[in-house]
Amino acid sequence: MKGRRLRVLLRSKTAAAGAAVVALVVLAAAFADVIATHDPETRQAEFRAPPSAAHWLGTDENGFDVFSRLVHGARASLGAALAAVAFALLAGVPLGLCAGWYGGWLDSVLMRFVDVLLAFPSVLLAVAIAVGLGGGSLLTVILAVGVVMVPVFLRQVRAAVLQVKTQEYVAAARALGARDRRILFRTVLPNCAGPILVLATLSTGVAILDAAGLSFLGLGPPATSPEWGVMLTKGVRYLKQKEQWLLLPPGLAIAVTVLGFNLLGDGLRDAFDPRRR
Amino acid sequence: MTCALRRVLLTVPLLLAVSLVVFALVDALPGDPAVRRFDVHANPEAVKAWRREHGLDDPFLVRWGRYVTGVVTRFDFGKSYARNLPVGEDLARKFQATFELTVCALLLATAVGVAVGVLSAAFPRSPLDVAGNLLALGGISLPVFWLGMLLWILCTEVLGLAYRSGRAEAPGLATGLYLFESLARLKLDLFFEQLGRILLPALALSTIPMAVITRMTRAAVLDEIGKDYAVTARAKGLGRARVLLRHVLRNALLPITTITGLQFGQLLSGAVLTETIFSWPGLGSYVVEEGVLASDTPVIVGGILLVATTFVLVNLAVDLLYTVVDPRLRRA
Repeated sequence: MKGRRLRVLLRSKTAAAGAAVVALVVLAAAFADVIATHDPETRQAEFRAPPSAAHWLGTDENGFDVFSRLVHGARASLGAALAAVAFALLAGVPLGLCAGWYGGWLDSVLMRFVDVLLAFPSVLLAVAIAVGLGGGSLLTVILAVGVVMVPVFLRQVRAAVLQVKTQEYVAAARALGARDRRILFRTVLPNCAGPILVLATLSTGVAILDAAGLSFLGLGPPATSPEWGVMLTKGVRYLKQKEQWLLLPPGLAIAVTVLGFNLLGDGLRDAFDPRRR
Repeated sequence: MTCALRRVLLTVPLLLAVSLVVFALVDALPGDPAVRRFDVHANPEAVKAWRREHGLDDPFLVRWGRYVTGVVTRFDFGKSYARNLPVGEDLARKFQATFELTVCALLLATAVGVAVGVLSAAFPRSPLDVAGNLLALGGISLPVFWLGMLLWILCTEVLGLAYRSGRAEAPGLATGLYLFESLARLKLDLFFEQLGRILLPALALSTIPMAVITRMTRAAVLDEIGKDYAVTARAKGLGRARVLLRHVLRNALLPITTITGLQFGQLLSGAVLTETIFSWPGLGSYVVEEGVLASDTPVIVGGILLVATTFVLVNLAVDLLYTVVDPRLRRA
């Protein structure tokens, strides 16, 4: 990203706030071992303890330290979301480039494939994929959420390529004798990078929500693993009990993180939008 | 007209492909369904008979073909493994519960979304606009199932309301659309009972579409409000509100309709989670609780297929609706 765009991005207070939240969660995920006060899967002396100096957010019904689970949960939840987006990028970007650039039967086949996958409500398709994969692990969640996002990326990249393709600098590159692959990766792809970056940022938020939803439905990692969606699954049982406040930490963590990605994504969109410079 | 017809006809292969994908995905489920149903000491004859009854011995494409034929000709979705009852009957009943929930959520989302969006665009950068923006941001950032749980606690514990989840029994009604039918028959007691129960899940479910519709309305109205015809209308002395509602909003309606129609997918996705929280006996909780958690393949396939088909048909309806909203498109 060029300096001018970065300045546009950070001049917006909301985008800067989003970037700060995202940075904070990334740091928490990266240094979870250092930040966490306890091991997230070791029983403490007290079960269902209220917040105290020893346990900042108390302990849950397994006697696990909630704060430590929250910090380690950032690693699992953010990691899963980023991995799912990376999967969607790796599959969607090359396919979208080819569909937009070559057109013809390849484009037709890929777009029909996109139509079929987009005919499913996203969470339901993710559920079907998770079921097909057998469920029960973070990898299942990553693949299910990732596959669901592939058609979205494919379509967006294709649309961007179709727009860039007609530009004079592409014709110029061709006239200079550049081969297809060189034009695609050196000329077309960099000019599509803006929309792809915006989509990837906003999709990370969606992926966190979808992954938490799958975990919540019991299709994610096992019930003791520190993951935000899993922590909420157990929360349902507290609906009528004194421990209702245990719903707050993981839910707030998800909401704030997703909000951060949404603010950052909106800021990036403005920064890349030529009309708003 | 030919364009509309083409669009309708293209839906058929799309739905076939959708059914093939669902069938293949669930078929990939590791392990033999017969092995999961019977223990190792089961009578091999009984296992064979069970496999034959559910038609599991045929090749994949034969099973798929038979399934699709059954669904299309007789609304036959096979029998569930766990309870050995026809899935089609369950689906028909659960579909009405989900339908009522999603329609209520969509009404809520559209009413609030369009109103807040128009007001935000009419007074840009005012506190109202900021509040609308916050509503939109919150709507797309909160996990639906978490919001549902918080609403539940707010109503039952904090406000002390006697909130009951699920749907009330409604004897004497012909359809499963309890809310709409009780209103149509003017059984007001029943109507308010149902309304009280549907309000919380509908509210939780409506947040994402509400956010998206608010943003889209604001953007579309702002886009139109600066155009020449709007300026002209103001210049010839028309009132601000009149220009906004009669001229600008009408032209902004096309993108708003598009985005509202597309939200139906969000609603059906969200319904899976919302119904589970509020014990709403719809398709979402059916697929998860009786299908996924019990590895009941016919329930999963039937439920997902019905939801996906609904989504495809709603998108088709939205496409056809464009020509009503914008007469210019009729000739295209």
